[in-house]
Amino acid sequence: MQLGLIALGSGLAVGLAALATGLAQARIGAAAMGVIAEKPEMTGRAILLVAIPETLVILGFAVAAMNILLLGKG
Amino acid sequence: MAKVQVLGRRRHLDAVLERLYGTQRVELVDARADPELGLAPADGAAGHVERQAELEALAARLDAALELSGTPAEAHPQLVPDPVPGSVDVAALVATLDAAAPRLAELATRLDALADERALLPRYADPLEQLAPLIPELAGLDDDELRQIGLDTLALVLDTTGETLLTTLREELQALLGSRFELVWTRVGQDAIGCLLIFPHREIEHVHRLLGHEYVRHLPLPSAYEGLSLHGAIAAMRRRIEALPGEIEATHRELASAVGPHERDWRTALGGVRAEVEQLAAACGAGVTEHTFALVAWVPRPQLGRLRVELADPALGPVVVEELEFERRDARVPVLMHNARPARPFAFLTRFLDTPRASSVDPTGLMAIFLPLMFGVMVGDIVYGAVLLGASLYLRRRFSGRSPVVADLASVLVIGSVWAIAFGFVFGEALGNLGKDVFGDFSLWVYRGGADALEPLLLFALAIGAAHVLLGVLLGLWQARCDRDRHGLMDRGGTLLFLCGMFAIAAYAGGMLPDGSMTPAVAAMVVGLAVAMAAHGTLGIMMGPLELLGAVGNVLSYLRLAAVGLASVYLAIVANELATVGPLWLGIIVAAFFHTLNLALAAFSPLIQSLRLHYVEFFSKFFVGGGRDFRPFGARPHDAPQTP
Repeated sequence: MQLGLIALGSGLAVGLAALATGLAQARIGAAAMGVIAEKPEMTGRAILLVAIPETLVILGFAVAAMNILLLGKG
Repeated sequence: MAKVQVLGRRRHLDAVLERLYGTQRVELVDARADPELGLAPADGAAGHVERQAELEALAARLDAALELSGTPAEAHPQLVPDPVPGSVDVAALVATLDAAAPRLAELATRLDALADERALLPRYADPLEQLAPLIPELAGLDDDELRQIGLDTLALVLDTTGETLLTTLREELQALLGSRFELVWTRVGQDAIGCLLIFPHREIEHVHRLLGHEYVRHLPLPSAYEGLSLHGAIAAMRRRIEALPGEIEATHRELASAVGPHERDWRTALGGVRAEVEQLAAACGAGVTEHTFALVAWVPRPQLGRLRVELADPALGPVVVEELEFERRDARVPVLMHNARPARPFAFLTRFLDTPRASSVDPTGLMAIFLPLMFGVMVGDIVYGAVLLGASLYLRRRFSGRSPVVADLASVLVIGSVWAIAFGFVFGEALGNLGKDVFGDFSLWVYRGGADALEPLLLFALAIGAAHVLLGVLLGLWQARCDRDRHGLMDRGGTLLFLCGMFAIAAYAGGMLPDGSMTPAVAAMVVGLAVAMAAHGTLGIMMGPLELLGAVGNVLSYLRLAAVGLASVYLAIVANELATVGPLWLGIIVAAFFHTLNLALAAFSPLIQSLRLHYVEFFSKFFVGGGRDFRPFGARPHDAPQTP
């Protein structure tokens, strides 16, 4: 039971963070495509802006890993 | 980059410019624009300006004529222009252009007309084709036959999606003609309604007046189709639409054959004309006194000696090359990115974000070390690495000289693939767990698919992140010191202290530091926080902690090295597991599909993630963008900046 809850919590940590990242990237990505269409020389910066929200899901992954490593061993 | 002033005798100005144009070693700047130099413009500048305008007009005519040939300039062998000003016989060139102009103009006009017709005819034919079935009895009658029975027709297009305008039109027509008309309509496209109005011929003037009041777009048929029946006009239009591509192609061929005999001469002349225009513009930008001239130029510092040797020619008279002081942080200083040969393919990735300023550290060399390493950590599979290595070597060979960007990208992937193979041995992976199942655990460190791999992998990713971010902060510190930027110095210094303190506490918690190290570690964090807050002035209370939190987030962001790597290995394991379900042939197909998918992801995702870690986490600590590429005098605009 406890192991299942840990797995569920870890999944939620990554899943919800990924959802938030996706929502943010959808908006930024749409705007970035508009910018690239107008100014192709901005492609590098556009990719940078699109990539910024990915930190959210990495932090979610860090929380999930902490869940598994710290609670899973207990 | 060095800023130099080239001084010489005034009568040798053109010869010196010609020499500089040929060597393509300097970028000239307008000497008169620099108030510190106090140089007067050349006396002959007015004459130069007129000649320049004349040649620019000639170049535009040549460009327009050559464009009609339909073959791009790149399709022709390199034609080297004669850089001697005045070498182009302008009068003869204008004469050949004038002689060819009437024929070219006629063909160009015909081509335009045909293109217009191809665009417009479907706009007539489509609505008429839809309207004809609505009046089958009248569609076969031509104009004369219609008039014999006292009728006339009008085709109309209403730019509306609703039917309100149609109702209004019908009411108006009813008021004018009673029941003596027929109005049929159908939707044409998404936002228009096509109508056909049949009415007594004698009412034609009244109807036209009414339609004028109602702002209705009348669709008069092109003259070639007037007088035909509706069916006849539609059939004639369709035949014409089918014939048009052939006619356009034939006209293109005629144009190519009209330009063909002159093409080589004109392209050579165009190069010469442009060279002279550039040299005239440069002469206009020179400063002069009664007997001397002064040119101001940027030259890559390693080439300064060669420039002096090239200008020490008796034919150019005495020429002095004098170095000038300049502000390194000035955005106008051009940049020539010069890197060791193995790092050169990475330069385009730096430019992809921005060109570094002259005063900024060029991170290309460091990128050449860290980016493939990170790529290798994420892919970390011997077979995937070998396949990627083979594919990228093939791409590099195929696109070398044809597409520099693809060739550079392939070179980046070659180094990344070698690292992927190396980390494949470190993690004991070959097609996921297949290597381990066949040969046993051959990992040099830890097998990534194992249950106990998560912790060491996370620590490894964080260690790479800590080293990379600290290196970035150190570079930022050095950058701030070079720029004498006190604010930057404090900001980077505070971040460095804070991060060092934090890592020391983490090491203490892991039992890697002795008991007495806790106090200095906490002190470093507190001092770092205070310095970072002080760097931001009055907003520091808020901005300082935020900056430091951002730096900690930057380090945590490197956890993606472990995350993407784990995702890759588990997908490979899933592919191998699925292969064992069902018959062997199906298993091979399923495994091949999933491994191909994983390989495609492995080529794309780790590269993007590594780039992001560089752009966001690493470059943000020191990189100053907004630089301007060095454009040597004499180089064509599409030439890449030369690397010495």
